[in-house]
Amino acid sequence: MNVQPVPVAEAYRITPETPVGFDLIGVKKKALIQLMGSRLWGRFNPNHWDPVYARETGLAKPIQTGEMCSAYIAEMCVNWFGPAMFRNARISCKYVASIFADETITTYGKVAGKTPKGDGYRFRVDVWAKNEAGETKTIGFVEADVGV
Amino acid sequence: MSADNDVAIDSLRPMTEIQIGQTREFIESLKEECETYWDMVEIGDVLSRDLCVTPELVILYADAVEDYTPWYEGWKMNTWRIDGESPFGGAIVPPMMMSHFVLSVQFDHTKPFAIGSVHTFHDTEILEPIPVGATVRIRTEAIDKFEKRGRRYVRHAVTVSDVDKGTLYLRETRDIMSM
Repeated sequence: MNVQPVPVAEAYRITPETPVGFDLIGVKKKALIQLMGSRLWGRFNPNHWDPVYARETGLAKPIQTGEMCSAYIAEMCVNWFGPAMFRNARISCKYVASIFADETITTYGKVAGKTPKGDGYRFRVDVWAKNEAGETKTIGFVEADVGV
Repeated sequence: MSADNDVAIDSLRPMTEIQIGQTREFIESLKEECETYWDMVEIGDVLSRDLCVTPELVILYADAVEDYTPWYEGWKMNTWRIDGESPFGGAIVPPMMMSHFVLSVQFDHTKPFAIGSVHTFHDTEILEPIPVGATVRIRTEAIDKFEKRGRRYVRHAVTVSDVDKGTLYLRETRDIMSM
């Protein structure tokens, strides 16, 4: 018998039954200097894309704009919350350390709480991002309504 | 050029001498006299600009963070502009995209770019999905200046709303650390 695979969008989705303590699978990204310095992102500041300029200003390597990491975290949350991330949702992020060119960044999330709301719950998820050495770069939380 | 600089250029961003020359010229062109953000901004300062969120702009944003969620596609190679599909109908804007554009409103585009400014924090409420193609008004107001652990911060209250319909799409508090 052929078993149809469950679409990714359904297999990885927070539901009203998802328990507190549940770990979200994140997204993994390479901090590529060519993307960091693209016109819509960091082109206005060579610290985001030029290794020589970055060194002159005391940075070991160019650094990402913080919003890139927020975008990574938002992508993870859209994967898990779907449409709920676009209405009455909240994303709060603090950039605690710079992300340097060439680092590999992974996002993480853990369901920290769920409060009854309407027919469902308002979920709160702790979110963070680390590099391959385990250094924390961004911390925060996300809230979204599920089944409400 | 030192060996260190060779590594810095070639390992992260391989370039020929023509490209290196073009890069140095571009960086020189960015240099201008400017103040720190702390000195440039007073509490109560309001800046506002309107932005048409075109399908191409959305693609440029999403591609650079390698986010290929199909809901954002109001433009595709071969077909070009399309209505797109999402749970809300047509294509929509990624949830944090407008937050990224706040930067280019906060730093008054009529003045030199402030030196030594770092975005450190945002608390963003995403109230309604933004349709691709909407024209939004991004308004930012400096609401506080404070020092914490020897560092200086300017806090802003931000709103993003639809210019035509008045829909409030996004509300945000964000901090900029300034030299």
